[in-house]
Amino acid sequence: MTSVPSESKEKESRGHFSELLKVEGKLALREPTGIGMGIGAPIIFVVIFGLIGIASPGNVANTNYTVLDLYVPVIMVFVFILLGVALLPVTLVKYREMGWLRRVSVTPVPPSRLLAAQLIVNLALAVAAVLIVIFGSELIFGAALDVGILYFVLSLVLSIAVIFSLGLVVAALAPSQSVTTALTGGLTFLLLFLSGLWIPPATVDGPLATIMYYSPSGAAVQALLSSVFNTAPPYTAIVTMAAYTVVFAFLAIRYFRWE
Amino acid sequence: MSKASEQVITVQHLVKRYGDFVAVNDVSFSIKEGEIFGIIGPNGAGKTTAVECISGLRVPDSGSISISGLSPQKERNRIREFLGVQLQESSMPPRLKVGEAVELFASFYPNPVDPDGLLETLGIKNVKNSIFKKLSGGQKQKLSIALALVGNPKIAILDELTTGLDPEARRETWALIESVRDHGVTVILVTHFMDEAERLCDRLALINHGKLAVLDTPEAIAALAGGNRVRFVPSQPVDDKTLYGISGVVEVDRKERYITVTGTGDLAASVINSLARIGVHVSDIEARRGNLDDAFVKLTKDDASGASGGVQR
Repeated sequence: MTSVPSESKEKESRGHFSELLKVEGKLALREPTGIGMGIGAPIIFVVIFGLIGIASPGNVANTNYTVLDLYVPVIMVFVFILLGVALLPVTLVKYREMGWLRRVSVTPVPPSRLLAAQLIVNLALAVAAVLIVIFGSELIFGAALDVGILYFVLSLVLSIAVIFSLGLVVAALAPSQSVTTALTGGLTFLLLFLSGLWIPPATVDGPLATIMYYSPSGAAVQALLSSVFNTAPPYTAIVTMAAYTVVFAFLAIRYFRWE
Repeated sequence: MSKASEQVITVQHLVKRYGDFVAVNDVSFSIKEGEIFGIIGPNGAGKTTAVECISGLRVPDSGSISISGLSPQKERNRIREFLGVQLQESSMPPRLKVGEAVELFASFYPNPVDPDGLLETLGIKNVKNSIFKKLSGGQKQKLSIALALVGNPKIAILDELTTGLDPEARRETWALIESVRDHGVTVILVTHFMDEAERLCDRLALINHGKLAVLDTPEAIAALAGGNRVRFVPSQPVDDKTLYGISGVVEVDRKERYITVTGTGDLAASVINSLARIGVHVSDIEARRGNLDDAFVKLTKDDASGASGGVQR
């Protein structure tokens, strides 16, 4: 895909891109998994941790945060992992295996546009999840968040970038759908653990804390936690995520196959 | 302005290897504007690889391909605007609706045809709102043809056009392809159905073990099989010399009491008349016209024993 499109081509390409987005969006609505992960999961988790917070009020030991406060970034990262690692690579490998990417590649539209549309639909779901988590925990369960917009946008962009690019690495390297499902299953579990879904990182000491801190999902949770309380995210978390993103994006682009 | 005989696709010395396996081995042909050009051959002969090189999906190891003066590898974006491709074994997202798929593909091309009209012509307008996975095999095939034609192509490459269609749908599809051709579209048809090739194609390339075995009209290729054949039982013995003396007879074969002669022309009539003149009556007559099937079997068998360097897959 090294061609330089002329100006008139550029105009046409916007027309077909909106069609692609429309189709991918409709497909996402018809396929309940994406909606369940992007919309259903955050609602359920906000309710669960909101109720836990009501049952055991006050700050979690050794921290200045309530249970729900600590889980606000974890739920966001949890949804990013579901969408970017558990779902996206499976869809892309399916598209590749069924010959859909190849079919599109013999039209004037490069198949990378199909990938872009698929990414945008998943990003939209991720953003919807973020809004659900923020407003749900604030408005329904009274979490005292103080979102620092700039910090938050920076943390959010990097969190989504690092997790989605890891998903794209799986899509690039996995030889078949069954391998993809196995890989994404393992990776999802690992990332969820490192994000602190089961044990909040703030309550962990020693080498495990370090590993969690410097993992893609752990770093994302750290950065998001700071930014929803209007504090500058630790630069180590920012650098960690940026570094992972560069490596993952390089691998995904280098090894992605269209057929 | 007659452009009827202009060469629109030229393939020269095309070679494509997969590792040690030579899938396409020095194949050359050219296709005229407005013709239906058939590519036939046994499974694994290299037909699909050859058209994949033409459609720009694969890069040849050597040789050259020109489509209206453009290279499918270097100028693939320009070619794709006027090239419609139907791929063998290509599926689509299971919940994509027929109408959505055709409209999506229409949006990819600068001058598409009306999607509804196309679905109507193909007889799948009634399933416009059905999702892909609910379609029958024949409907999926027709949708795949629709996606190849919706961009209003100048050249259409159709790989296994009627696989999975019932006899009636096949006939309808053939009529459609003929009408597409009548609108000036050049068609490359990859098939392993000899009746389809015989009915539709103006010229045929037979590819076997990656090599071009023969390139001619279907009639001429059918004649290569030895043409027509008559089998009969004579009322009394007849020697070979007499049989070879009958006009049109090229070959004589005996099996038990049956004699089979192959050759050209109205073979049955000339055999019956000539033998009647020397007082020999014939019974149990079975006459067959040579067809593309015979030629196909003969040509692919000959080549297999001819050690052409092809590798069996």
